[in-house]
Amino acid sequence: MNGIHDMGGMQGLGEIGYRENDTGFHEAWEARLFALVRALRTGSLRTGIEGIPAPDYLRMGYYERWYTAFVARIIERGIVTSAELDSGRAEPASAKATPELTPETASAYLSVTPKEERDIELAPQFRVGESVAGRNMNPTTHTRMPRYTRGKTGIVERDRGIFDLPDSELSSGEPKPQHVYLVRFTGQELWGDAAPANDSVYIDMWEGYLEPA
Amino acid sequence: MSQPNSDHVQDHTDVPSDPALRVKALESLLVEKGLVDPAALDVLVDAFENKVGPRNGTQVVARAWVDSDYKQRLLDDGTTAIAEFGYSGGQGEKLTVVENTSSVHNVIVCTLCSCYPWPVLGLPPVWYKSFAFRSRTVIDPRGVLSEMGLDLPTDVDVRVWDSNAASRYFVLPERPEGTESLSETDLAALVTRDSMIGVAKVAVPSVGGVA
Repeated sequence: MNGIHDMGGMQGLGEIGYRENDTGFHEAWEARLFALVRALRTGSLRTGIEGIPAPDYLRMGYYERWYTAFVARIIERGIVTSAELDSGRAEPASAKATPELTPETASAYLSVTPKEERDIELAPQFRVGESVAGRNMNPTTHTRMPRYTRGKTGIVERDRGIFDLPDSELSSGEPKPQHVYLVRFTGQELWGDAAPANDSVYIDMWEGYLEPA
Repeated sequence: MSQPNSDHVQDHTDVPSDPALRVKALESLLVEKGLVDPAALDVLVDAFENKVGPRNGTQVVARAWVDSDYKQRLLDDGTTAIAEFGYSGGQGEKLTVVENTSSVHNVIVCTLCSCYPWPVLGLPPVWYKSFAFRSRTVIDPRGVLSEMGLDLPTDVDVRVWDSNAASRYFVLPERPEGTESLSETDLAALVTRDSMIGVAKVAVPSVGGVA
């Protein structure tokens, strides 16, 4: 989707707000929400956050976007109802669950590294050193291909292995494992001759995002 | 404060607009439904506020500075070399370590959201998630770094790493001159989080050694 979240290369989006020793949370509720999302294990909120209308996305803070996507997710999954959220109380007839995560299991859970790489054999379409171009695509749903790479030519630097394609439209809901390549684009290819000749951007690209160049 | 709302269905205008109150109400509801244990939340918050953080990364950097074999393993396969310290977890499946030198400067960003190498750096600082950093770092890395106090000579190559897929990046900063006599522990104390994102360099320690 050509959404507001796909910000690479935009200008005029305000201040970085840099400060040394900045922290991940500025408010206690942000940490609490982060923990709630992790504890409920309802999956990545990425698509929900990307679906927030652009004017709202820009107005909200980072964890306000999380809150919005999280609430939508738990209603959609039937974990809570809108009425319960409005009232702040569980419906009297609703069954009481047992928390999946306890203080004892929480620490172990934190050290588990997710395994997204697929352990299958699949012939790669591209080789390291090969010239490739980002396809010109405008999917209306989730993609990990930032639009600044569309139509741009780069060089395959590394084969990352095989991962499922996250793009729901391309994959039609089916996992479509394919090679992911680390591709180097020069700054001048992406942004024109005014960019310094010795700048480059490295980014991972699923095979389906690329065509021979 | 655990139950800010009464039993009857509220008009939407009564839903607290303050995010702190909304999150508190949400937690209360999820606890009442037996879906979360507040003590487990405490463990998660404590881990990300106090345990999983850039101190992990500083130890990895210091080891790489004093042990060239380790450094090679780190650059060849970041995930495995970092696991030697026991660091693992979310956002850590494909850790790629990129080395800053006098001729190459690397900086990491996530243009689409906020992807970041949690096992070595913890959660990203708020500025890393700012729209300006996300949008401008790929198109004007030198300008962004300069605004953050790091002016790079024009003959230094700049490499920007956009963390859009499974890979998470971690910068091995350049070891400052004048640190030959320092121990691994003292070296780790010099390393800053921002130098491991690539928006700062590790400063040369002032005369008199490490504070």
